[in-house]
Amino acid sequence: MENSTFDRRQFLCRAGAVGLAGLSLAQPALAATDIAEGYGVLVDTTECIGCRKCEYACAKSNELSDLPLEGFEDRSVFNEPRRMTADAYTVVNRYDDTAHPERPTFIKVQCMHCLKPACASACLVGALRPQSNGAVTYDPWKCMGCRYCMVACPFQVPAYEYDHALTPKVSKCSFCFERVSKGGKAPACVDICPPMCLTFAKRSELLTLAREKVKAHPEQYLDHVYGEHELGGTSWLYLTSRPVTELGLMEFGEKPIPEYTEPLQHGIFKHGVPPMLLFGLLAVATKTFHHKEDE
Amino acid sequence: MFHKVRLTIILLALALCAPAFQGRADSGGASMSQKADTGGDCSPCHRTSSPSMDDLLPNSQCRRPRAHENLREDDAAVPDVVTMGQLTDIYVPVVFPHGLHAKMEAIGNGCSACHHHGEEGKIVSCRTCHTESTDPGNLRQPGLKGAYHRQCLACHREWSHDTACIFCHAKRGALGEAASKPDPTDITGKLHPNVTVPEKKVYPTEEQEAGSMVTFHHKDHVDLFGKRCVDCHQKENCSRCHDSAGPQKHVRQDSHEDCVKCHDTSDNCAKCHKDHEEGPFDHDKSTLFMLKEFHKQVACKQCHTEGKFAIGKKSCKDCHAPDWFSKAPKEFDHAKAGLVFSEAHKDNECEACHPNGLGEAPDCTACHDDKAYPKDLPGQRVPEAPEAADGNK
Ligand code: SF4
Ligand code: SF4
Ligand code: SF4
Repeated sequence: MENSTFDRRQFLCRAGAVGLAGLSLAQPALAATDIAEGYGVLVDTTECIGCRKCEYACAKSNELSDLPLEGFEDRSVFNEPRRMTADAYTVVNRYDDTAHPERPTFIKVQCMHCLKPACASACLVGALRPQSNGAVTYDPWKCMGCRYCMVACPFQVPAYEYDHALTPKVSKCSFCFERVSKGGKAPACVDICPPMCLTFAKRSELLTLAREKVKAHPEQYLDHVYGEHELGGTSWLYLTSRPVTELGLMEFGEKPIPEYTEPLQHGIFKHGVPPMLLFGLLAVATKTFHHKEDE
Repeated sequence: MFHKVRLTIILLALALCAPAFQGRADSGGASMSQKADTGGDCSPCHRTSSPSMDDLLPNSQCRRPRAHENLREDDAAVPDVVTMGQLTDIYVPVVFPHGLHAKMEAIGNGCSACHHHGEEGKIVSCRTCHTESTDPGNLRQPGLKGAYHRQCLACHREWSHDTACIFCHAKRGALGEAASKPDPTDITGKLHPNVTVPEKKVYPTEEQEAGSMVTFHHKDHVDLFGKRCVDCHQKENCSRCHDSAGPQKHVRQDSHEDCVKCHDTSDNCAKCHKDHEEGPFDHDKSTLFMLKEFHKQVACKQCHTEGKFAIGKKSCKDCHAPDWFSKAPKEFDHAKAGLVFSEAHKDNECEACHPNGLGEAPDCTACHDDKAYPKDLPGQRVPEAPEAADGNK
């Protein structure tokens, strides 16, 4: 514990120094075209039965809680919509359907793994990064705990370990990064899903699959793949039978959040009135450099 | 979604609700078991007034589509039970009542309702096409696990209103085995997912001398007395449980029809009809044979071999070695049999009271014209605590 706080502090000091020396620390966000060929998951919400097995597998695989299987069998949790927490990277919510009361819709939510992630753009130290395989990863060693990402994320995904006093971390779905990139496996939630309503594949293949499904069963799906264009596109895609607004998902335009915020951020930082001097300077250095690089 | 809705409707119909479509439409939601009971209303679709799993009997007017081209003529070729155990990990293999589902096929969409992509007239198993995990080269075809679940859930999601995994799956116990091994043929006499046995039911009845309330300890009848569901629930209308309007009452022609199978209901009404809710079965109170130490742990059917409890009981000698009875009375601690003799009786020879054999009910008539066991006792019952019995020769 002590050690890790020290490490982090050390890292921040060094980062400050380096930043001031004019070196870029925040990783330049990858252009969307670079990661469009990354992986994704297609969530077919019309097949989801709300069994919460994905929650169980995620918690187990990511060592988030020791709760046994029985702990995930309680269906009364569906009475209130839930959000992700520090020990749940994913949750399933139920949305009753007045037209078909016997068949409510279940929606699994987790980080959408945006192609142009607002969280990564807001992160001053580059702790959140979009990877070429489609995942947006989080590096706790870089994170300084400012929680800007939590404010920035349009899907309200990142949670925070408020009850870890010394080394609290931001927590969000990791896309099972290690498991996928090193183990060559599908994410834990995808693997366990009984009706296989989660399909893990290249994002482009998933879009083709989604369009085929819509075409073959227009009575089952709305002709809209949520996440295809929303905010510049996300790696996780959703097929639904009902408008997303009825299902706790927000409607968004196509323009990525960073395209609104970055000029603003740049503006503030350029004029040297950051909220915190050190990080402000760091950001100025970062962003200025970033700019030059682009040119 | 409609192909699923259609499937569901078919199965709903199969679940014996077909008449309800008519019934609902013109009676504004009258329950279907009421319809079945009034008779005649099922006739538009069934050749019986109360369709059950045994007598589904769809008639020629049945509106549900039939796929004769796909119908299997040779019943023997239809497996009755298919065990799906290739993919189990958290759960024990699923025992799938294939035969039961195949029966529904006749008024459903033919075998192809599930065996969807076979060559016409040919039935192929799921595994023929669906590989264990989804083939990355063919995302359109889910792996076996997805195929099974989607096929089952397409109907069960709406039909049973229950998607809890344990509806079909028994969990593995600590040793990897099923925590309990239910008898899947019990509930309907055919394979059927488990149902929860109610603890007790209290029925209001016609006014009787002793009261107008019958307490039926349902769980005791199953757990203690070894009754199977089908012993009472025969030709049950499926819609009694599987009806979107919720469980219906178990209506009997004659309220005693299930009880008389075991109980004599012709006279002793007061045995069941009381003015208060009755506690569960108590062997000591009901039979005057106090169960102590050892016998308390013996399963009922170890002594009551016939299943009918008043008769067919084993005699003590069946279990206890003969010399246990042949010991001299002085050595035999009669308190162990639940009774301590009064001064007048304690020196009697065993045969004086047990002329029909030791372990058989005593006969008082050799000495007393006006006495009879168990109304009269040659001593005192041993109180509950076993220690007291031991110290009381
Ligand atoms: S959903 Fe939120 S946390 Fe996830 S990548 Fe997008 S912005 Fe970041
Ligand atoms: S991808 Fe991995 S981390 Fe993300 S929700 Fe699924 S199991 Fe959890
Ligand atoms: S495991 Fe699959 S079916 Fe179950 S709740 Fe999660 S997404 Fe839905």
